[in-house]
Amino acid sequence: MFFHIVLERNMQLHPRHFGRNLRENLVSKLMKDVEGTCSGQHGFVVAITGIENIGKGMIRDGTGFVSFPMKYQCVVFRPFKGEILEAVVTMVNKMGFFAEAGPVQIFVSNHLIPDDMEFQTGDMPNYTTSDGSVKIQKDSEVRLKIIGTRVDATEIFCIGTIKDDFLGVINDPTTA
Amino acid sequence: MSIADSPLHSSSSDDFVGFLESALDSGSPGSSPDEEADDDSDIEIDSNSAKRRKVEFGSTEEIPGSTSEVFVEELSEASTKEDICTHPGSFGDMCIVCGQPVDDKSSVIFGYIHKGLRLNNDEIDRLRKTDIKKSLRHKKLYLVLDLDHTLLNSTHLNHMSAEEEYLHSQIDSLQDVSKGSLFRVDIMHMMTKLRPFVRTFLKEASEMFEMYIYTMGERAYALEMARLLDPRKEYFGDRVISRDDGTQKHQKGLDIVLGQDNAVVILDDTENAWTKHKDNLILMERYHFFSSSCKQFGFRCKSLSELRSDESEPEGALATVLEVLKRVHNMFFHASNTLCLYDGKKLHFLCLEDNLVERDVRQVLKTVKKDVLKGCKIVFSHEFPSNVDAENQPLWKMAEQLGASCSTQVDPSVTHVVSGDAGTEKSKWAVKEKKFLVNKQWIEAANYMWQKQAEEKFPVKQMKAT
Repeated sequence: MFFHIVLERNMQLHPRHFGRNLRENLVSKLMKDVEGTCSGQHGFVVAITGIENIGKGMIRDGTGFVSFPMKYQCVVFRPFKGEILEAVVTMVNKMGFFAEAGPVQIFVSNHLIPDDMEFQTGDMPNYTTSDGSVKIQKDSEVRLKIIGTRVDATEIFCIGTIKDDFLGVINDPTTA
Repeated sequence: MSIADSPLHSSSSDDFVGFLESALDSGSPGSSPDEEADDDSDIEIDSNSAKRRKVEFGSTEEIPGSTSEVFVEELSEASTKEDICTHPGSFGDMCIVCGQPVDDKSSVIFGYIHKGLRLNNDEIDRLRKTDIKKSLRHKKLYLVLDLDHTLLNSTHLNHMSAEEEYLHSQIDSLQDVSKGSLFRVDIMHMMTKLRPFVRTFLKEASEMFEMYIYTMGERAYALEMARLLDPRKEYFGDRVISRDDGTQKHQKGLDIVLGQDNAVVILDDTENAWTKHKDNLILMERYHFFSSSCKQFGFRCKSLSELRSDESEPEGALATVLEVLKRVHNMFFHASNTLCLYDGKKLHFLCLEDNLVERDVRQVLKTVKKDVLKGCKIVFSHEFPSNVDAENQPLWKMAEQLGASCSTQVDPSVTHVVSGDAGTEKSKWAVKEKKFLVNKQWIEAANYMWQKQAEEKFPVKQMKAT
């Protein structure tokens, strides 16, 4: 799920960046530091959309660095247990399949794939129903339900299931 | 100096996150009062409660009398299914079935398939069992292939001798790797030569086997070589196992191969790497193309690259072994109803036609091997020291594995005399009786080639001092 939230952060800036472009330097450093990182609390920071305000800088003793408290708006992405998510399949094997939704890595084990879908080997491994009407393979888009999440410093791992009503393939790359 | 950059969060967003988390949790369709306590059976409850609701609904409308009965039945079924999840494996330290955090250090890491994936032994067994049925239906077995000295030969660019410098002008383009056989992989500072016949070998073997690469090299090297051998990723897929993925140091094991032991054939040049799975192994004659590779194994002779030659394509090791694999595959799937096997102690009669799963490729390998020197009776002369037990000598055992019968005494039924010296009594006897007189390489060659070799190619020299 995406959220547009306000976060705060103390930015340390080297004195060489002081001057006319102080603000731009602060913002670009903030973007570099924050975008693409994860925290367990908020999830994955997708993009900074605006700066609320920049507080008074405090010179740190001994270093000359100045720290600015910054308040910024950003879009974050965080998967939740129970959430329905759409993801792209990246790898299919006999254990199940792996899918990606942005930075999130999701594994759907074959325990959580409907029993009527069977694994087929070959150069394009896939899970197919007995009548061949539904096929999950690499690059398929699937709708799945998250049943477990774990957030690392740079990665988010999820366990998903498609063994429920209205879950499964939403777009087949072969027919598209 | 500490950098105070811990992200401060506004309290409002924090509350919202908490609210959403609890709302989503309890709002999931399968929510039941005890779900908080026993999250393990999340999914089980989901499907069951859905079923339960349907039954309730349907029965109240149509057959009101039976409502309670059916309901009770469904409930009891649901409760038995609420068993604690066995956590068959984990992904990113979460159970792959229930999503609960698990801390299972006993399970096997399958890093070569995906980072953070672990499976426990029961799950591996289950996967193997379901997979073998499918493979056998498609008439496929498993084949584990080593890279270095088996399918190719690599050398570090710095280790190339002056006589090999000419190779730099002969390298094939990395753009279209499917045609070339000599590549310079600059990012790894390597020169790699694919063994002649390897393309045909992989193509034909892929029709009979599900193939794995298993190398003692690093992961990056393994992937790069897999790309050279299989640019379209049609043979190996994600089944590339490197040193970093093994469970034991300096050993290769089938524990991380998702194929049942009785259906796996291994091609490797190093017998010692597979101490636990020698019966699955077909030992390969080493492919030394570069001089550094020859030096590494203590050969003084000039390498193939220095001689500007190469292994023969139609008669090389890969072509030979492909024939063996075809024979093994054919025997495994099309053998007559009963197969008579002798394991050294007793005869086994295996009824094969009806139960493919019970078949064992290791037995088939042994049987095929036993055909190589079938009908030969070998006497050794001047091969073993007189004070040791001849029957325990590797050469003796090798000859027996190849189907020959061995003896210490000459008699009219003897067909071959294997001798280290043409001057011994037995050698002279062989010449007089017109028996074959060969040196021990005749047996070793047969062991590699899986074929009886022409005896004339292995003459015995006269030793001087006798």
